[in-house]
Order: sequence, then structure tokens, then C-alpha cells
Amino acid sequence: MAEYLALQALNGLVIGLLYVLMATGLSLIFSVLKIVNFAHGELYMLGGFASYYLTRLLGINPFLAVSLSMLIVFLLGVIIEFLLLHPIYTGAIERKDEYAILMTFALSIFLQNLALMIFGPWTKNPSPFTSGTTTIGFLTTSNNRLIVAALAIVLILALLVTINKTFVGKGLRAVSQDRDAASIVGINPHRMNLLAFGVGAALAGGAGALIGPIFFVEPTMGTLPGIKCFVIIILGGMGSIKGSIIAGIILGEVESLGSVLLLDPTRGLAYKNAFGLLILIIILLIKPTGLFGEKYVRME
Amino acid sequence: MRYKTILFLASSVVIGGLIPLFVHGYWLHVTIIACYYAILASSWTLLAGYTGQFSFAHLALAGIGAYTSALLVLNTSIPLYLSILIGALTAALIGCLIGGLVLRLRGPYVALFTIAFSEIFRIALGAEYKFTRGNLGLEVPPLFEGTSKLPYYYTILGILVISLLIMWIILNSRYGLFFRAIRENEEAASVMGVNVVRYKMMAFVISSFFAGLAGAFYGHYVGMLTPNIMLIPQMGLIIAMSVIGGIESLAGAVTGAITVQFLSEYLREYGQLRLVLFALVLVVVLRFSQNGLVYPLYQWLFERKIRAELTKERVKVEGIRNAGGK
Repeated sequence: MAEYLALQALNGLVIGLLYVLMATGLSLIFSVLKIVNFAHGELYMLGGFASYYLTRLLGINPFLAVSLSMLIVFLLGVIIEFLLLHPIYTGAIERKDEYAILMTFALSIFLQNLALMIFGPWTKNPSPFTSGTTTIGFLTTSNNRLIVAALAIVLILALLVTINKTFVGKGLRAVSQDRDAASIVGINPHRMNLLAFGVGAALAGGAGALIGPIFFVEPTMGTLPGIKCFVIIILGGMGSIKGSIIAGIILGEVESLGSVLLLDPTRGLAYKNAFGLLILIIILLIKPTGLFGEKYVRME
Repeated sequence: MRYKTILFLASSVVIGGLIPLFVHGYWLHVTIIACYYAILASSWTLLAGYTGQFSFAHLALAGIGAYTSALLVLNTSIPLYLSILIGALTAALIGCLIGGLVLRLRGPYVALFTIAFSEIFRIALGAEYKFTRGNLGLEVPPLFEGTSKLPYYYTILGILVISLLIMWIILNSRYGLFFRAIRENEEAASVMGVNVVRYKMMAFVISSFFAGLAGAFYGHYVGMLTPNIMLIPQMGLIIAMSVIGGIESLAGAVTGAITVQFLSEYLREYGQLRLVLFALVLVVVLRFSQNGLVYPLYQWLFERKIRAELTKERVKVEGIRNAGGK
């Protein structure tokens, strides 16, 4: 039993790291653009499909395919921000919050249906990174999962360094604190919007490209992880990247361990997803601002 | 204005009542489903368009109504019409709880919570296959004996007309003003003496009740329920109907629902492509015409005439002035 639990904890950590990757993207978008991206799950799905086609059709090395997928989704994110979300910040839209919710939701429906039409409803497998298993003590896990976890950690660290240590990161933080003040000191808020949405999208796409080799890719794969990201950013506090990292790991572990401890295995798999809802209800009742969130600022 | 509205409503009821003379079989079925969507779209509009609470759980509430009613009929000896009512009331209760939970929050929180609730509820319902038979589908006893669709049609038409009437009366009373005040600015509304808590809950309850009612009817009409009626893309369809019709008017939402449903049946042979097109239309409408298409079309049709007359008048006046000037 103890071995099984440890294995589940390890699996929870791997999944949790992918949640973190995706949720930090959502958090970054929220903190700079002050909108919630309801199409986040679909960007994740597109990242998965990009890596599938790059590895299986073009035969590109899986490691290279992850970075290329992220680049593709980054460009897509930039285009989306430029075409559909830009009007929010020029004063052309009256009710900004509502517009952002409806627009990103409509976009998610559009992308999912488009993917169903182009890619077909079947599940597909991108090339794995490597084969074989590793045994540490009494734990045996596939090398593939370990590589995915390592890559996720590298990407998260790269994001943290970029945001906290570089000049561009300073610009992003400035815009997230005060758009007008940032533009007074010479930062172009719209360029920061493009960058934040692109990078946020790329992180979701990267998570999709990483999960493909462990599980599979299909057009509806983004819905649930997208919703779990919503749980994570509320649990961690809206717009807090540190909060997203901790909350993502918490959710991954709660799901993995909770489904083993509480329920019979056949239904456990389905109820795994219900833990997120439970966490959400509790956090909304007790502390709606989340673990590290500040009071929610309304966009004006 | 009121007289005009009543006339419009009466004529729609007469036209609606006469439709089965011209429409039969499959297309009557399509009309019934269109009425179901019309109730859902208009009650969603009350919550989202008028009160500004963007709930993605509307179909989950319809599903709660449908499953409650179906399970009651299957497991107890409650008469069918009563179970439909209980289904609708259960949906209203859950709607009230959701409203209560997201009460203190605003903006994206409501949308975030309801989308999570909707999807996770759907999955849990599928997992409880001992009760609900999950994705195999729950067989639901029909509302009427026999195979004729006519009684179903008149029932759903009656539900649609009555629910629209009730919502119209509410929205045109002072409560409608409270709802819109909450949408525009919660703090200002509360300062002006609107009990924000009470009216937000009220909007959730009313809208959920009609969603549950429509859902319960739908279950007993189709005779088979699966959790898939609550899929997120289905919710997208309801939103597309409301937004394309016009998110700030009941008539717009109804028109949008009927138009989209008929178009989608008409274009059925194109399969997946039509869903992509609807989503694309939704994105374009949101981007360029946030009032939807119905009201701007109405304006264009009727105000064009007025504008043309005004132009003619101006030309005449300017002609006289010019002649006088010479």
C-alpha cells in the first residue's frame, strides 16, 4: 500500500507540474491583461496536436517539437490578442469584463470545433521522448514521465527568471500593477499585452506538447485541464504566479492521492475530477481571494 | 408601446398555434427543439444579459431538472406533471445555492465557478451509472401516450409563451431595473438602495427554474437522457443563440434560438463545418456588433425608411432655401 501511495504521489507530482505550467500561463495573462482566458484549454490542445504532427508527420525530434509547438501557439496567441482582445484596451468596448469572457469562450468553442473538423475525433499519440523505466528505491516509473517532469520544471524556472530578473519581466510586472503609470515611463502596454498573451498561450501549448507523449491527444482534451486551471488560479489567488505554482501541485496531489484513498477504483477515476470542484467550493466559502491573491481588482 | 407588445405577442401565439398545419413529422420535431432552446436562451439572457451574471451552468441546471424528473417518475409513483414541476424547483434550488456561493464575487469568478460546476457535475453524473445509467442513457417515460408530436408541440409552446410572459413582466417591472442596475454597477446600485444580494439570487432562481422546466420537458419528450446534453459546446450553442439574437432582449434571444436551430438543421449535411461556422459567426458578432444581429437589423429595416424621408425633406428644404437665396 505504501509503495502504491508513493507511486501515486509521484504521478500526482508529474501531473501537478503540467497543471502548474498551464496555470502560470493563465495567471500571467490575468495579471497583465486583467482577463480570464476561457480558451486556455484549447491552446493546450493545439500544442498537443502541433507536437503530434511535428513528430509523426515531419519526424522532428520530440524535444525540438516541444519548443516548435510552443512557438506556434505563441504566434497564435499573439494573433488572437491582436485581432480579438485589443479593442478592450482602446476603449472601443463598453463592458470589458463581459466582452472578454464571451469572446474567449466563443474562441474556445471555435477552436475545438475546428480541431474536430480538421484533426478528426480520434485519439493520437505523439512520439515519446525516450523509452525504458527507472527504479529509485522501490519506485519504478517510466523515463518518459521523468523527462516530462524535468522539462516542465525547466520551463517554469525559465518563466520565473524572465519575470523576476529581466528587463522585459519588469515591464510585464509594471503593466500588471498600473497600465497608465507604466505607459508614462515609456513601456508600451499593448506590446506587453501581446507578449503576455503569447507567452501564456505558449505555456499552455507547452503543457499540451508535454502531456501528449504520456497520454494522447484529441480535440476535446483541453476542456478538463482548462477547468482545472481555473480551480488552480482561484485557489492560488488570481494573478499570483507563486500561488499558481503551489496550488497546481496541491491539486495534482489531491487528485492522485484522493482517488486512491477515498473511493473504489472504477468510480475513483471519474471522481478525481470532482475534487477540484470541492476545493473550489471550499475556497469560495472561506477565502475567495485564494492563498496568495490580493483583493480582486476590477478592470476599468 | 405596451399595446404594441401585447399585439405582437398575441400574433406570435396565433402563428405558433397554426404552425402544425404546415409543418409535419421531422420538421415539427425540429420546431419543438427550437422552442426548448428558445426557453433556455431567453432565461440565460435574463441572467447574463440583464443582470450581468455570466453563468455557464445553465445546461447543467436544465440537466438537473431533467434527471430529477426522470428519476422521480422511474422510482416513485409521483404523477408526471408533478415530477416536472419538482424538477424545475430542484433546478431553482441549486441555482439559488450557486447564486449564494458566488454572491460576494463578481466578474470572471461567476463564469469560472459555473463552468467548473457544470463540467464536473456532468462527469459525476456519468460516473453514478447505477442511478443514471451514465452514458448508456436513461430511458425516460414519455409525457403523452401515442406517437403524435402535436401534444408535445402545444405543451412546449405553452411553456415558452408563459415563461416569456412571466420574464417579460418581471423585466418590465422595477425588478428589471434592479437587475440592470446590478449589471451596470453593483456599488452604485447598492448605494441607491437596491438589495444586491436579494436580486442577484432572484435572477439566479428565476433563470434556473425555467432552465429546469425546459430540461424536464425535454427529457420526457426525447425519452432518453445522457449527461452529454450538458457538454460545454452545447452551452456554447445556447450562448451563440442569445448573442447572435441580442443578449439584452428576450425577443432577440428567442429569434436567435429559432434561427440558429433551423439553420443548423438545414445545414445538417455539412456536419462539423456548420458548428465551426456558428462559432465563427459568434466571434465576429461579438467583435463587431455586441447588440447581436436582430436589433440592428430591425433598426436598419425601419429606420432606413425614416432616414430616407428625412433626407428627402432636407433636400426639399435646402432646395427652397437655395431658390430663395438666388
